Amino acid sequence: MPEVKKVTAMDKSHSERIVADKAKSHANDPFVLKKVARAKEIVSKIKFPDYSIK
Amino acid sequence: MNLERYPYSVSNDFQDYSFYSDGPKGKIKKTVLYIKIREKPIIYNIAFGDVDPETGEINDDIISNNSDMDIVLATVANTIHDFSDRYGNHYIFATGSNRVRTRLYQINISRLLDEISIDFEVYGVIGDQQYKFQRNVNYDGFLVKRK
Repeated sequence: MPEVKKVTAMDKSHSERIVADKAKSHANDPFVLKKVARAKEIVSKIKFPDYSIK
Repeated sequence: MNLERYPYSVSNDFQDYSFYSDGPKGKIKKTVLYIKIREKPIIYNIAFGDVDPETGEINDDIISNNSDMDIVLATVANTIHDFSDRYGNHYIFATGSNRVRTRLYQINISRLLDEISIDFEVYGVIGDQQYKFQRNVNYDGFLVKRK
């Protein structure tokens, strides 16, 4: 189970943030890995006038 | 964006955000994750989806229909502010896991474009080119950058 601390306040009108020291990273979730691979493929092709790609 | 939004928790590296959608389907945990995918210029990918209660992993194939899409999108936008405060105003790339999902993102950006454009530059990507985002154009993905 993820270790991210639950936010108990559900007041939708005021955004609040809790920094969780022991949050589970999702960086290696299969969906994320697949999505990042696809994003890298698309983004690597984009030409930015101010940057030369080496 | 001056819209309602949910409170969220964030990992101490400010790259992994979680919050609960609250609607007719109950409370659904969602996660927003930023991962650097290019150096020049610096671009981060944003991955967003529901957290599977069984596996604890992100999945964006689920359509929640929790009647709170604008609040969810405003919350995601708020995480971009938080992330940018920490890492700088870099490009953030978003695309769906499939064409239908990407189209859904496009529809929602179009719908909220005036609101989004107050704080962010928004571009659409087609092939190797980026264009200023326009409604009724189909894109491969989207780049946003805080102004």
